Amino acid sequence: MKEISLSSPLPWQEKSSEQKGRSLWQDALHRLAKDKVAMVSFVVIVFYLILAALSKLGIIFSNFDLVNNEIAYQSPSWEHWLGTDLFGRDVLARAAHGTVTSLTVGFAGTGLSMVIGTVLGALAGYFGGKMDEAIVWFYTTIDTVPYILLVIAFSMVIGSGLNTICLVIGLTFWVNHCRVMRAEFMKHRDREYVQSAVSLGASHLRRIFIHILPNVSHLVLINFSLGVVTAIMSEVMLSYLGLGVEPGVPSWGMMISDAKLELSRQVWWGLAGATGFMFFLVLSLILFNDALRDALDPKLKNK
Amino acid sequence: MFKYIFRRTIYMVPILFGVTLLTFTLFHVVGGDPAVLAAGKHATPEQIELIRQSLGLNRPLYVQYFQFLHQIFTLDFGRSWSSRQNIWTMFTQGVGPSLSLTLPAFLIAEVLTISLALLLARWRDSLFDRVTKITCLAMLSLSSLVYILWGQYVLAYKWDIFPISGWDPSWAGRWEFLGLPIVIFVLLSLGSNILFFRTVFLDEIYHDYVRTARAKGLNESGILFKHVLRNAMIPIITRVVQEMPFLILGSLLLESFFGIPGIGGLVVLAIQNADFPVIKAMTFLSAVLYMIFQLISDVLYAVVDPKIQLR
Amino acid sequence: MNFATFSLKLSVQFFIRKGKAMLITTLSLLLTLSMGCTRKNKDAENTLNIVATSNIKTLDPIEASDVYSSGAVAQVYEGLLHYHFLKRPLQLEPLLAAQMPKVSKDGLTHTFTLRQGIKFQDDSAFPEGKGRELTASDFIYSWKRLADPNNKSEGFWVFDNKILGLNEWREQVSKGKATYETPIEGLQAPDRYTLIIKLKKPFYQLHYVLTMSYTSVVAKEVVERYGKEFLNHPVGTGPFKFESWTRNNQLVLTRNKDWSLHTYPTEGEASDKAQNYLEDAGKKIPFVDKVVIQEIIEDQPRWLNFMKGNLDYTSIPKDNFDSAVQNGKTTKELNDKGIHLQINREPDVTYTAFNMNDPILGKNENLRKAMSLAYDTDTSIKKFYNGRAITAQSPIPPEVDAYDPNYKNPYKEYNLSKAKEFMVKAGYPEGKGLAPIEFSSPNSTTNRQTAEFFKQNMEKIGVKINIVTSSWPQFTTKITEKKAQLWGIAWLADYPDAENFLQLLYGPNGSPGPNGANYKNKEFDELYEQASHLLPGVERDKIYQKMRDIFTKELPWIPGVHRLSYSTYHNWLKNFKFHSVINDNLKYFRIDTKERGEMKAKL
Repeated sequence: MKEISLSSPLPWQEKSSEQKGRSLWQDALHRLAKDKVAMVSFVVIVFYLILAALSKLGIIFSNFDLVNNEIAYQSPSWEHWLGTDLFGRDVLARAAHGTVTSLTVGFAGTGLSMVIGTVLGALAGYFGGKMDEAIVWFYTTIDTVPYILLVIAFSMVIGSGLNTICLVIGLTFWVNHCRVMRAEFMKHRDREYVQSAVSLGASHLRRIFIHILPNVSHLVLINFSLGVVTAIMSEVMLSYLGLGVEPGVPSWGMMISDAKLELSRQVWWGLAGATGFMFFLVLSLILFNDALRDALDPKLKNK
Repeated sequence: MFKYIFRRTIYMVPILFGVTLLTFTLFHVVGGDPAVLAAGKHATPEQIELIRQSLGLNRPLYVQYFQFLHQIFTLDFGRSWSSRQNIWTMFTQGVGPSLSLTLPAFLIAEVLTISLALLLARWRDSLFDRVTKITCLAMLSLSSLVYILWGQYVLAYKWDIFPISGWDPSWAGRWEFLGLPIVIFVLLSLGSNILFFRTVFLDEIYHDYVRTARAKGLNESGILFKHVLRNAMIPIITRVVQEMPFLILGSLLLESFFGIPGIGGLVVLAIQNADFPVIKAMTFLSAVLYMIFQLISDVLYAVVDPKIQLR
Repeated sequence: MNFATFSLKLSVQFFIRKGKAMLITTLSLLLTLSMGCTRKNKDAENTLNIVATSNIKTLDPIEASDVYSSGAVAQVYEGLLHYHFLKRPLQLEPLLAAQMPKVSKDGLTHTFTLRQGIKFQDDSAFPEGKGRELTASDFIYSWKRLADPNNKSEGFWVFDNKILGLNEWREQVSKGKATYETPIEGLQAPDRYTLIIKLKKPFYQLHYVLTMSYTSVVAKEVVERYGKEFLNHPVGTGPFKFESWTRNNQLVLTRNKDWSLHTYPTEGEASDKAQNYLEDAGKKIPFVDKVVIQEIIEDQPRWLNFMKGNLDYTSIPKDNFDSAVQNGKTTKELNDKGIHLQINREPDVTYTAFNMNDPILGKNENLRKAMSLAYDTDTSIKKFYNGRAITAQSPIPPEVDAYDPNYKNPYKEYNLSKAKEFMVKAGYPEGKGLAPIEFSSPNSTTNRQTAEFFKQNMEKIGVKINIVTSSWPQFTTKITEKKAQLWGIAWLADYPDAENFLQLLYGPNGSPGPNGANYKNKEFDELYEQASHLLPGVERDKIYQKMRDIFTKELPWIPGVHRLSYSTYHNWLKNFKFHSVINDNLKYFRIDTKERGEMKAKL
């Protein structure tokens, strides 16, 4: 059930936010800097990003693909902190490399869904009328199909692999964000600052992307950090269903799905490695998201 | 009231139309030639052609689309490619077992997590709150496989509290087998549910009415139970109702590990067998259920909060 | 409305107030519910509890293409012939036939005499619900059903191009020009109990084919009565009757009290007496009143259920192997539970097939040999089969004629330096200039891991592999459409004859037929046809071995392994002798219910 829950709209996503002055971001940054939890989780996220970058570049954990069948399924030792897998590969190195896969899925998939959601939401909210009706109809339709089935149907039809997963996540996860964006743009389009832009002769596109978008961008960031979590967890589920990344590519989803067999032979370290890596990333993403929301939500400003 | 329901039902029509278009596009346009897949192993080109004809794949797309609509209206979703079983029968037979797992488990989980979340809200930012929050997140990251394998091995095999797996089609007999999957289902929902409800309650706590109540001298627990809970009913119902259709889908993993012959197992099998008609039917049917539950939730809003007008 | 509001609020508030108490009550309620519920004492019943490790798809004989569907079908339906339960190598025996058929000198006409008085099981499709007598024309009907293009049976290959007039009839039916009434020259029933089969060309394996589920006999009334739902209403002549089937859960069969076709065999292999396989000699079978086939897909619940005694026998899941078997014997834990181990050689072969139409792989013999030499079979056996397999030197597996245990395929050794030499000969020294090759694989965990292992092996000689996984049907479709370049697959014998394996390389069997590699060699094909005229024996073995040598020379596959099956069973299960080709074995198994009751209390 947990894969479902994260996708349900969360209350703050439906809530309106008051107009924010230019100082919104400065204010928020100020508040964030004072929030210890936020800072720690931010550091952890940055740590993961660096880890992923260094692994990808082959600077650390370059032994992730080093096969040594002599030492298959070795339990954790000084040499291999998290033991070895079926092919004698270092589990720690593979879990670290799994970060690359997860962050790719998280960032590319969620990035795509943010783009789709923002553009459609902006168009619907800004223009209203027929455009709005069409877009609302479209996203209600998508939203009506349980997302697990939608994701499965997409992957079955398109095939599996890392790129597909990103695409599928991008194409299915934009609805909530789109809804939020639509509501925001609806509110903002009649605001003074937009009206003054009109009088200066700004085009529609300019008004949407140059004037309004920066004022609602904090919501993009909030939804993005939450979307990354959902995307990472979806990769795990898809791997279990055999719709995961290409064999041989290190991924937490594959490591967890392999655990189904490995646990029978008391090999727990693959699962532990992947779960541990995922836990700290997800934890810091959610905590950071929380803090971000608190910092940016004016309702809590004066608490 | 009935007028409202009627009007809402009318609104459902374009959405339903959208869902048919979506599933149709996905499986008939993007999905390539299903005849080859449907023909199975060692099919000759003539056999494939025969299947193409019987599936009506040689006709123009709009004709195929109307065929699909016809299927939907007659509830005749055809037969599974892999087992040649009637899909509608598969669906109706699977709903019962799925629901007898998910419904009780869901109710228990909701009640349990709402209670816990209220406690967390009561003592927000305390150590208890923080520890629970992190525990919830940990539970969220832990693969459901771990709960299942552990439960089966320890609770069922070692301690003998539950049967390992199995099913009894009779109503009286099945509960014996459902105990363990229900416990695991509840454990699995704890993490995300508690976090969600906690957020809901915290959102309410900063409202003016809470401050007013406090000013009136009501104690914190009283405020929580009397005011916050009532006002939080709307997001709670939204979530509960939105999760309802998923209950019919059952639980993919639990069903295959515990041998519960529900919809979840059907879906997993259909994925493994690239059984497009089954997935297509399940996609459509669950969308319809989702809409029905949405309607129910809208009606419930009005029931809970008379201020909401049914227009 | 008001009442609903009220009660909703009330209940929610109640739950919340009593939150903690509720938690405890619910949990304890659940516990008592499951514990207190008297687990019905099913152990005393004379029931055989077995497991299907993948789903039973259908109970229609002509659809039963997978192991578990055909295994279930074989308990309810019967064919003309079957295998002797105990004798090894496998030996054919008449089942519904009164004796082995008369075969004309040219090998083309096979005359069967049916046993008289065989009745179909009772079903409402028959007049007054009483099963009627089986006649020879029922076989003709059943086989026409198999050939009927509208039924799309995967099993038609067993008769394809073999019986006189059957393919023509099939053609006519697809054009709407023939019906089931249209006679076929090769299938005749001159009287109630005589069935004559005329072949286009000699086909010695016909008798084997007649043991398979595809060719078992069905009643026209039943098929017509249930139409498309026939697959859920099996009515045969067999020792077990269909009782219920909850799909994805379990199939229940009960003993057919009217069945008395034969008794428990009185003779067997030399070692059978010592192993107590002849204790029940001559007794009335089936021994059990009921068979419950549970569909348990996941390994852990299956193994735990077996260990608890809820299943009478099962194979050992790959990853539970170490805890169950050490040095070829059951571990102490299993010994204490009274669990025995039975090891059987499987007549099967795993292989990596090359698409012989592929411009790179199909045309470059040396490249194929290099890849074969680079594959470390011994490690793969350790890794994926727990040592439960032997290296395959050719397509011909043990347990069939013409298998030569001493034969060594020169390209089947693991020899990297030799492999690199062949890479040079192939024109790709160190893999230079060779584009990545696509390896197709089904997406189950073990298949994926095997593919990964293959990839790792090929990297050592500079051959780059891209693995593409998909669901099983999408995988086989890709092969059928000749779109796969290289793939791993296995073949389990339908019958114990090398022909069943060599046909996988017979040119005319190319896609969409079973020769997925689309291997074509004139000499090989001629030898294949030549052998089909011969009865088993030295002469035929020689031809098969010649074909094997051609295979080795051109290497259209990398042969993988021949597997061993490790079955574990409880002491209370008697007469458990397993062979993967024999599928009507449940009627011979006996349960010592008293012993089971006592033992299960301890497990």
